[in-house]
Order: sequence, then structure tokens, then C-alpha cells
Amino acid sequence: MEILNNLAFGFEHALTLNNLMYCAIGCVVGTLVGLLPGLGPLSTISLLLPLTYSIPTTGSLIMLAGIYYGAQYGDSVSAITMKIPHASSIVACIDGYQMTLNGKTGLALFTAGVSSFIGGSVAIVVLATLAPTLGEVAFLFGPADYCALMLFGFMCVSFVTTGSLLNGLAMAFIGVLLGTIGTDVNSGIARFTMDFTFLMDGVGLISIALGCFGIAEVVKNLDSGSQLTPFNGKIKLMPSWPEFKRIIPSALRGSVIGSFLGILPGGGPTIAQFAAYAIDKRFSKYKDEIGHGAIEGVAGQAAADEAAARTSFIPLMSIGIPENAVMALMMGAFIIKGIQPGPSMITEHRDLFWGLVASMWVGNCFLLILNVPLVRYWLSVFKIPFSVLFPSIIFFCCIGTYSINNNLDDIFITAFFGCVGYLFMRLKLDPAPLMLGFILGPMLEENFRRAMLLSRGNFSAFITRPISGTLLGLIALFIVWQVLAFYFQSRKAAIPVAA
Amino acid sequence: MNNLNLIRGLVLMAIALVFGIGALNYTIGHFSRAGPGLFPLMVSCLLFLIGLITVVRSRFVAAVPLSYNMKNIALILLGLCGFALLSEHLNMIAGIVFLVFCTSFAGTSYSVVRNLKISAGLIAVAFMFRTLLGLQLPLF
Repeated sequence: MEILNNLAFGFEHALTLNNLMYCAIGCVVGTLVGLLPGLGPLSTISLLLPLTYSIPTTGSLIMLAGIYYGAQYGDSVSAITMKIPHASSIVACIDGYQMTLNGKTGLALFTAGVSSFIGGSVAIVVLATLAPTLGEVAFLFGPADYCALMLFGFMCVSFVTTGSLLNGLAMAFIGVLLGTIGTDVNSGIARFTMDFTFLMDGVGLISIALGCFGIAEVVKNLDSGSQLTPFNGKIKLMPSWPEFKRIIPSALRGSVIGSFLGILPGGGPTIAQFAAYAIDKRFSKYKDEIGHGAIEGVAGQAAADEAAARTSFIPLMSIGIPENAVMALMMGAFIIKGIQPGPSMITEHRDLFWGLVASMWVGNCFLLILNVPLVRYWLSVFKIPFSVLFPSIIFFCCIGTYSINNNLDDIFITAFFGCVGYLFMRLKLDPAPLMLGFILGPMLEENFRRAMLLSRGNFSAFITRPISGTLLGLIALFIVWQVLAFYFQSRKAAIPVAA
Repeated sequence: MNNLNLIRGLVLMAIALVFGIGALNYTIGHFSRAGPGLFPLMVSCLLFLIGLITVVRSRFVAAVPLSYNMKNIALILLGLCGFALLSEHLNMIAGIVFLVFCTSFAGTSYSVVRNLKISAGLIAVAFMFRTLLGLQLPLF
């Protein structure tokens, strides 16, 4: 009953005219920008973050959350109609695009929309029940446990997003090092500032995000020189009743899987969609059709995608540790607004927390009633040639950087990180873990120093505490497994040469 | 020598060295009472180790050449810096025009008329940002 009370309290805040408007704007703008080639949720959020500065706190966070789901829906639309994948919509390319080839684009888009709605609704129930409980657990965490949890998060994110533990961890550590730039809170000494006064407060989050995700992505698209062929087919949206019935079981399965996988460190939409697709392929009544344009192949993954996108807010809001790069960016947005996400947020900013949870469901409704019927108009975004688009994207990057401090020097920092981001991209290093490392770096240092101070410099504090001991044990096991896997792989590869 | 894996390892080691050597300039302290240099030094050591492993590993896996295209990134960076400088010393309208004309060299086609249209559109957007969102843009 308490949950219902809390949710009702949240809806009171989410359903004010202003907040409804911010939610709607977020969803629509997010979808439009998310549709653009090469701009996934990460680039979309960093590009649109400046729009929210002049809006009151609750409204701006509601709008950002709306941008996030909107961008995800936009991604799946571009995946289904044109097979342009992003990290969060790779699976949608398989059956979704196949359905487009079979002339069932409308059905695929409708399925994705309805399944997202189901997934989101299930996830919100999970979020509302689990987040306050987890928040209480978080009070048991000591500094050493926080350190271990962050390291565990780095490892999971590295492995999930880049597929290579080594590259991902390297990026996370570079992020941590970038986070140390600026004034050290404990001693007041300026570190790595090279005597530039504008680096005293550290490097701006937006400069790094826009450099690595905005500018580097644009240049990547320019380098590939690909011209898009816009989708011009007809779209028939409404499915027949038997088709509609096929969506439900698969979407429910996906919602449960997505909600669960969204909570785990390093989790989120990327792995949830793969897991849901795999399970559908194994257990669905129509499993033989999956892979050739089956409704289930779209429904399950779309539901999981959306559910995971929402439940991934749980670790951020209850423990205060973002579990993936998108959440790291969200945390940055919370901090810009003067709110420290964590266990005390649920009690101290009760209106904000429940308002945000309720607005997630409102956002879900907007996606369903706005985006699904209007999708054919959204698709006209693709008629804009990229040569027109990219100067505008770069201009928005500039405005975004500038408007944080009204300082034009920040644009040089963004340009620098654009260059760095391009280098990383060419070296096949994914900037997503870097973002996480950058946000968590200062927290990691603070907790590490505190843990060491408490234990008088004795490392055994990390092992003897049950929470940190378990997490570090898992990390050690994972590393051993990776080393063994590489050893056996290279031996296997070496045998034909020797023989 | 043009091996993606090898270069990646070397770049990681270089970044680790920059931060690691920088960290030595600050007080290191003990574990029980850490100075400002301790944490960056530890992280740089880990990063250096990863770089080293990457270099060693590159000997065992097939070489992948590194492909890059300096033209586009250079044009975009030039556009950004030019925009910042012009906005600072002249005004943002000049900055926008420069940005559009400079960066669009990186596109597949180039047209002066189209660039003028894009510039006009972006200037209009900038005015909207100033009046509607209250951003302090030095437009003129």
C-alpha cells in the first residue's frame, strides 16, 4: 500500500502542466535526435543536456529521462527501417529489419512501441518497490565496499560494452585519471592543471561527453562517407488481432528479463535485449520463425530494452553508483542541478524521486500515443542530407559547451576531447567506460583514501569486510577466467602453425 | 609497424606515463595518510600495466592495420577553434558563418548557397536560444 501512496504522491508532481510539457518535449526531441544516424542515447543526451539548464530541477530531470527513452525508441526505429544499429538496438536490426524487407514495417514499429510500453510499465513497478529497499541496504556500505563496488562496475561495463576487459578497463582508468585533474579536495593542491586557471575546477563533464560522443561520432560518419537512402515505403500501423495476441507473451517475458538485467552492474539495455532475444528463440511458440522477421523477435527485445533502461536507474538512485555510461551522464546532470544521487536522495528529495518514477510512466504513455502514430512523420528526418546536418550538430556541441559557464574557452577543451575521442575511436577503444570512470573517479579516490585512513594503511580491510571481500573475489575470478580463455585461445590458434 | 594493437598499447603507456610522472611532483604520502599524488600514481601504474600487456599481446595476435583520415577531424577542429576565437573577438554570427563554411568542406558535396542557408538557419536558432531559453550568447 505504501508503494501506491508513494506513486500517487509522485503522480501529483509529474502531472503538473509544466512537468507534462517537459516530459513530452523530452520524448519528442529525444526521438528525433535519436533517429539521426550515429547518434545513440549517449550522444543524444550529451547534446541535449544544455537545453535543460534553465528549467527547474524536477522538470529538467524529467525531461532528460524523457530524452533518454525517446532516443532509445528513435534508435529502434532507425534499426527497424534502415538497419542502422546503435548499442541499444543491435538486436532490433535482426528481426525488425527482416520485417521491413517483408513489407511489414508498420507492424514492426507498432510491436516495438507496444512492447516498450509493456516493458516500461513492468519496470516501473520493480523500480518503485526495489529502489527504496536497496537504498536502505546502501547504508550498510562502508568506504571499502564502495571502492570494491565501483571496481566491479568498471569491470562489468568494460566487458559488456567493449567485449574486451583490457581495453575497457584501460578506458575506465583514463577516465579516472581525467577525473583527478583539478583541485584535490583533501589537500587543496591543484593537480595536472598545467597552471591553467580554467582547469582548477576540473575538466567539464559536458566537454568530455560532447567531444568523445558528439564530435568524434560526426567525424566517424564523415569518414565513412556513407549516404543514407531514406525509407520511403508505406507504413500500415494497426496489426490484426491474432498478430496483437502474439506480442503479449513475448513482451512480458522480455520485461521480466530486462527489469532484472537492468539492475546488475554493467547491465542495461545492451545485454538485456540479447538475453531476451535468446530466451525467445529458445522458448517462444514461434521460435522457428525468429530470425526471419517474427513479431516475437521484435517484441521481446524491445520490452527488455525499455525495461532495462528504466531499472538501470535503481543503482544510481538508491546506492548512488551509476552502472553504465548513460547513467553516469545522468548522474552528472543530477550533480549539475545540485542533487547528489544516493540513499539519502529518496528521503531528502522525495518529491523529485517519486516525481521522476511517475514521469517515467507518463513518458511511456507519450511514447505510445505520440511516437507510434506519428512515426511516419518522424522518418522524414532522414530526408535531410548529412551534409546539412553535421554543421548544425557541431554548432549545437559548441552552444552546449559554452552555455554551462558562459565561457568560450570551454569550446577549446571540447575540441581537444573531440580529437582525443577520434584517436580512441580509431584505436578501437570505446569511450563509454571512460565516461563512467570520469564520473566515479573522484568518488573512488575519496572512498579509497577514507578506507585506508580507517584501516591505518592496511589493505586487509578490503578483504575482511563481507561485501567488499565478495566483490573483489568475483573480480579476481573474472580476471583468472579471462587470462585462461586467452591462453587456450592462443594455443588453439597456434596448433595449426606448429603442425 | 602500422599495427593497431601495438599502437594502442603504446598510446595507453604514454598516457600512463604523462599522468604518472605528473603525480610524482605531488606529495605521495603513505597508504594510511595519502597525499594528493598517491591515487593518480596507483591508477597510472595500473594503466601502464594494461598498456604493457596490450603491447605484449599484440605479438601473439594477427596484426590489424590502423586506418585514419586526418582531413575531416582537422577541418572540424579548425571550425570549432575558429568559432570560439571569432565569437570571442568579433561576434558569434561571424563565428557561425565560419563554422559552417569551414566544416562543410568535410562533407561529400560543397555548395555556397546551401552553406548560406544553413548559416541563416543556425543564426535564427541562436536568436531563439537567446530569447526563449535565456542563454547569454554574444551574438553581436
